[in-house]
Amino acid sequence: MIADFLASWSLFGTTYLVGLLIAALLALVGIWVVARDHIFLGAAVAQASTLGVALGLWLGASGAAARAGWLESDAIPALLAVAASIATAWSAARAAGSGRESEESVSGWIFLVAASLPVLLMAHHPHGLEEVERLMFSTLLSATRVDLVVFGALAGATLLAVARFRDRLLLFTLDPEMAAAVGLRASLWAGVTAVWLGVVVGLSLRVSGLVYTFGCLVLPGLIAKTLCREVRPLLWVAPGLALVAALLGFVLAHRYDLPPAHTTVALLGFALAAAWAARAVRERRLAALS
Amino acid sequence: MLELDDVTLGYGARTVLRHVSFRVRSGERWFLIGPNGSGKTTLLRAILGLIPPRAGALRMDPDRAARERIGFVPQRGRLDATLPTTVREFVSFGFVGSGVKRPEREDHLLAALAQAGLSGLAGEDFEALSGGQRQRALVARALVRRPHLLVLDEPTEGLDVSAEQTFLRTVVDLNRSEGLTLLFVTHKLELAARFASHVALFDAGEVLAGSRATLLRTEEIERVFGARVTLSTEGEA
Repeated sequence: MIADFLASWSLFGTTYLVGLLIAALLALVGIWVVARDHIFLGAAVAQASTLGVALGLWLGASGAAARAGWLESDAIPALLAVAASIATAWSAARAAGSGRESEESVSGWIFLVAASLPVLLMAHHPHGLEEVERLMFSTLLSATRVDLVVFGALAGATLLAVARFRDRLLLFTLDPEMAAAVGLRASLWAGVTAVWLGVVVGLSLRVSGLVYTFGCLVLPGLIAKTLCREVRPLLWVAPGLALVAALLGFVLAHRYDLPPAHTTVALLGFALAAAWAARAVRERRLAALS
Repeated sequence: MLELDDVTLGYGARTVLRHVSFRVRSGERWFLIGPNGSGKTTLLRAILGLIPPRAGALRMDPDRAARERIGFVPQRGRLDATLPTTVREFVSFGFVGSGVKRPEREDHLLAALAQAGLSGLAGEDFEALSGGQRQRALVARALVRRPHLLVLDEPTEGLDVSAEQTFLRTVVDLNRSEGLTLLFVTHKLELAARFASHVALFDAGEVLAGSRATLLRTEEIERVFGARVTLSTEGEA
């Protein structure tokens, strides 16, 4: 099985590497989603990216593209996906800060609007619904060398930022009141984390689709949260789990001719269920001992 | 250490406090008392540098009350209950913005845990602590900065009487042994009567500040709280 997989590297090497990078990067950024228990925000941000892509395709096919040819560029859907992700993360953070609406309410509204509008926008587009379905379905096969460079750079920048600002980021995430009291500018940190989440999710979705993006964003963090006793180890356990799951997923997908993104997410899902079961057993044992 | 000179504070179009003037000297135990919504927390936020005064001057001793030397204890540690952390890790987040060098941190951490009476619980899960122990963990988190000024925002809210007394004993002992200055926000008069050296009474946007014996008189309390209460002001000073 492994030999077969390695033999396929010459053909799918870029796809595998991009998939691994995206998995680790999303798992790392996802710590901030999981630590604040804003899982639904992760879903809303990923779904909003789909809307951004659909909007880009719709613009490219519309009469406006005849007057402005650049609207047909492949970069437009990607840029709009990133913009939609950033706007979602930012508006949810602002809603939580204002106290008028909960972050969950805003996330739910965005999720539903972003799930329905792409279908409406693409309903009369010749191949529009196919493209929306492709994004929802998740496939890594369209990954290119440019994606490899982009995600490599993003992963490097994220690692550097985490290494430099780890405790500030964690304190802001865990206890914003305390973070403000020790001099961290809450609005600045909220803005930076929202933009970063939007960029990573928006770019990932265009390449890997909704299921892989959302799955890698939240599942490794949730597994790590269940297994670890402290917050700081989550920062390496979650990306490590994502890498292992993605690699195993790609091997199994190649062997049994399955979609690699779904295989990876299914593995992560089973791993989370196993982690929950292990924790329940551990807690029962501790309760029996005490 | 800290001086407020005719300070006015507010948010947006709303003025919360007007003409606040008092001086806090090193080693004093100030209890800030008033009904809910009377501006106690607003004043704390100004002292922590989170909101600027609209008028007047808020002067801090740059050596003793610089941001790095202020410890803050909120009402609750706002942790998601499903998030894993040990007491030791939780307390270590107090180093953020403190300027304490990494090699010194272990000593600071162990000392803070001991001062808060949590030495034996360092490796425990934070979620496994009782309410009173969690509040002492918040104090330990503030103490790792080796503060000169400890600012506490209703830290005993929701604790039972026994946990509340243990908590107060811990911070008052720190005040006596380390010379730590305390700013303690509460609406519990009996705590101020027992543990304060000075009080600030918050009343309709204004603050009446002075020694405990002067201000915790039945007439003043009735004017601020609208209830006739007689307290023993012998205290523990």
